[in-house]
Amino acid sequence: MKGQTLAVSLVMACGLAMMIMARSLICSLETTRDEYYEHYHFADVFADLKRAPNDVRAQLTQIPGVAAIETRATGRVTLDLSGYAEPVDAMAISLPDDRPQQLNLLFLRTGRLPEVGARGEVVVSEAFADAHGFVPGNTFPAIIRGQRQDLYIVGIALSPEYVFEARPGETLPDNLRFGVLWMNERELSTALDLHGAFNNVIVDVAPGEDNAPVIAELDRILAPYGALGAYGRKDHPSAVRLNDELRVLHGLAFAFPAAFLSIAAFMSSAVLTRLVRLQREQIAQLKAFGYSSQEVGWHYMKFALVIVVIGTLFGTGFGFWLGANIVNVYHRFFRFPFLPFRPDQSAIAIALCISAGSAFVGVLGAVRQAVRLPPAEAMRPEPPAEFKPALIERIGLSHLVGVSLRMALRNMERRPWQAIFTGLGLALATGIPVVPGTIKEGINYLLSFQWDVAQRQDVTVGLVEPGSSAALSDLRHLPGVVLAEPFRSVPARLRFGHRSRKLAVSGVPRDGILNRLLDADGHPIPLPADGLIISAKLAEILGAQPGDHIQLEVEEGERPTREAVLAAVFTDYAGVAAYMEINSLHRLMREADTVSGAYLSIDRAKWPDFLAKVKETPRIATMAIKESMRQSFKKTTAETMSMLQTLYFTFSVIVAFGVIYNGARIALSERSRDLATLRVIGFTQGEVASVLISELAILTCLALPLGLVIGSGIASGIVHMANTESVRLPLLLTAHTYAMAVLIVLVSTSFSFFVVTRRIRDLDLLSVLKATE
Amino acid sequence: MFPRVSQLEPSSLFQESIEPVYRVRGLTKVYGHDATEVRALTGVDLDLFPGELVVLLGPSGSGKSTLLNNLGGLDIPTAGTLTYQNQDLTNADEKTLTTFRRDAVGFVFQFYNLIPSLTARENVALITEIAQDPMAPEDALGLVDLADRMDHFPSQLSGGQQQRVAIARAIAKRPAVLLCDEPTGALDVRTGITVLEAIERVNVELGTLTAIITHNAVLAGMADRVLVMSDGRIAEERRNATRVPVSDLEW
Repeated sequence: MKGQTLAVSLVMACGLAMMIMARSLICSLETTRDEYYEHYHFADVFADLKRAPNDVRAQLTQIPGVAAIETRATGRVTLDLSGYAEPVDAMAISLPDDRPQQLNLLFLRTGRLPEVGARGEVVVSEAFADAHGFVPGNTFPAIIRGQRQDLYIVGIALSPEYVFEARPGETLPDNLRFGVLWMNERELSTALDLHGAFNNVIVDVAPGEDNAPVIAELDRILAPYGALGAYGRKDHPSAVRLNDELRVLHGLAFAFPAAFLSIAAFMSSAVLTRLVRLQREQIAQLKAFGYSSQEVGWHYMKFALVIVVIGTLFGTGFGFWLGANIVNVYHRFFRFPFLPFRPDQSAIAIALCISAGSAFVGVLGAVRQAVRLPPAEAMRPEPPAEFKPALIERIGLSHLVGVSLRMALRNMERRPWQAIFTGLGLALATGIPVVPGTIKEGINYLLSFQWDVAQRQDVTVGLVEPGSSAALSDLRHLPGVVLAEPFRSVPARLRFGHRSRKLAVSGVPRDGILNRLLDADGHPIPLPADGLIISAKLAEILGAQPGDHIQLEVEEGERPTREAVLAAVFTDYAGVAAYMEINSLHRLMREADTVSGAYLSIDRAKWPDFLAKVKETPRIATMAIKESMRQSFKKTTAETMSMLQTLYFTFSVIVAFGVIYNGARIALSERSRDLATLRVIGFTQGEVASVLISELAILTCLALPLGLVIGSGIASGIVHMANTESVRLPLLLTAHTYAMAVLIVLVSTSFSFFVVTRRIRDLDLLSVLKATE
Repeated sequence: MFPRVSQLEPSSLFQESIEPVYRVRGLTKVYGHDATEVRALTGVDLDLFPGELVVLLGPSGSGKSTLLNNLGGLDIPTAGTLTYQNQDLTNADEKTLTTFRRDAVGFVFQFYNLIPSLTARENVALITEIAQDPMAPEDALGLVDLADRMDHFPSQLSGGQQQRVAIARAIAKRPAVLLCDEPTGALDVRTGITVLEAIERVNVELGTLTAIITHNAVLAGMADRVLVMSDGRIAEERRNATRVPVSDLEW
């Protein structure tokens, strides 16, 4: 019984661990996030604009519903880090000189804030500082609007607006190449050519007030100042990423635990039913001595209790351990001042209730069977089991099945539920490893689709200010540039019906070959001469279909509002985007050949020259190097993936081993007399073992394909759940994934068979034959 | 492979010149250690010859079953020698004993030990599928008068019918030896007779060396030789001049 109790407990523990882990992570992330947002006054509404004089601020504070407001100067700066060839860029944000911060307060990890009036003092974001090993006292040169300036680190800090610290629009953080700097307002605004002005507003909306009117009012007041459209927290990139993650966790906290616990409930029922059958006589004697049915029932319920206690102990411990480890992984993506692991106390209570519930339901049937028997009847040996020919024989195919197969099939028909649940347990075990396999394949496909097939440029550079064709020509003449294709990027709000999204609409040349738009099969889609082509996901968000007319509210320049036809949708897997033919966009903007940047193809041999030159080119504000992004993405995901895979594989092994072990032990106990008889009449140990395991082997064979179907279903569910605006995974169910899942289950079941069949050696042939039926 | 005993002329039986099937010398079996020690057999000497029917009598604990189990390769002696067809079984390993049981021995126990999920025919077929020179399961069941019950499951058969299936299963491989431990112990007299008739018929028609353990002294009449055991040794051995057919035994 010890082995079986442990097997059931471990399967239960898997479900509980999964649930406790997910719930605790949800608890940790949500609580920490809420506290962080609250204590560090994370703003409710955000707005970027080109430039507004500081006087406007007074007007903004009058907006009804505004509790606090902060106007800031922000800008992208390029950093020239010694020993680091690639350009690094940072978001520089101003800190008020004359008053303490009111919103998006910094959490200072070490050091201090810049002193008012001191020059070149900065606070850097922690993730960036960690990646580069910066400590207060370090200096590095930065290029702000073409001016080279040495910056002196006085502090290292975190901010609630950069919990997810990535370049806008990027899927994963790259802390080596992107960081955040905070500087004194006067110094930064001067450097950014914003003296006496601001280009960023953050607003705290009074409790109970609605965001929407505030956003509308902000847009109205700031419109003359090149407003780029205000937005609430639900569109804030960092906040959105955190919410996406929590949504996935909520799904995990329910589906898997439910499956594990139902299998555990069945297993405990099977074990106990067998135990009760073996102890018929003892039960009868107890009842004959005057024990009540309740007392006898309680005796067996204690078995359920043991399972629940062991399962809960293991499950809670394992769940907390997993959670505490995964919290550390989260710390890499989400930066909080502290991300303590908060064991969800209620999860333990829920776990206890659910597992106790499932175990008690499981044993209830067996116990009821036991206590219902009148003592006299129970003391008589059980009548011989009744069998009938299996279905396959009844339909006239008996010649197809050998003797041990017949025994197995007839046994399965006699106990269909036992067979069904054992099969389901094995199917679950087979399905589990399909999930990480599918995610891994999806990520690999995403990487190659996005960065090999769609984006063939080596580098994407963005200019500080949109320039003319002369600017493009300058880029073409950078050392090593083989091919340069311009793009025009215009911030705009796409509106269709009542839905809208703010993003940058990119104009690209029609004959471009670097940045291509592809359909789901990876075939290039020709750029329409007129109209928009947008991410399929964006079309889904807007509820628009090709042929629909979409309102395009440009938030730059003259801020024209135009209608554009949605010409086509294209497939991409990270973020959402909208494109137009570049000349068509020029016409829309009523401008000549303006460019915002270019896609560049670089001769590898001249790479160092190219990088060196770019660093000296003040017009270049941003630069995305494909290979670096790919490396950073791989590094971050690889570790997470291998952890996920190990976890799921472990669960799969435990369930497969546990289910088979339990099934085989029950079969061994139920059929020990048959098996001993076979040994006596001359069957070898191996032959007897094959009789013992044939039923489970059949179930395993049936469960494998079913498990692959179930696993594919779960994987598709998870892929669907993780289908967010930030990342989408293609559902790729490959032979490799399936083979891995089948292999894991076959190895664990074989090991389980091995462990149990060794017991055949210990069968006491004589005592079995002497005992009464 | 264990040699099988060829059919012998009944007239040649029991002559000193005939090689015994079993030669048992000083066979001793001790269970447990020290305080819990039980001496089940204490130096048994015995020869068993081809085709003879031997009945073992004796009180409970006299060592009958232990002797039978040792003869059948279900147990190994503590001391002494046990040879079958000149092959030493005294120190045989598990594999040798399995082969020995498979090729040479048929067992019938007090409890029938049929596989409940298999029909009568299939229970017999279990053996015929692994034996070297088996008879057809149908023929074996015919020998025990169960030709019309072949496709019944154990739960559909009476105790006597189940025991006859067990006999058919034991003899279907044409074993050299048939060992029966209280074959009628769980049966009423009338049913017991049909079972014993089946055993007798097998012994006569197949010439199988047959040993029957029983508490019922009446059965002594059907034997060629009667061994009475007491305290782990053979206390008395007598030979019947003529065997009484089971149907003529006085109950």
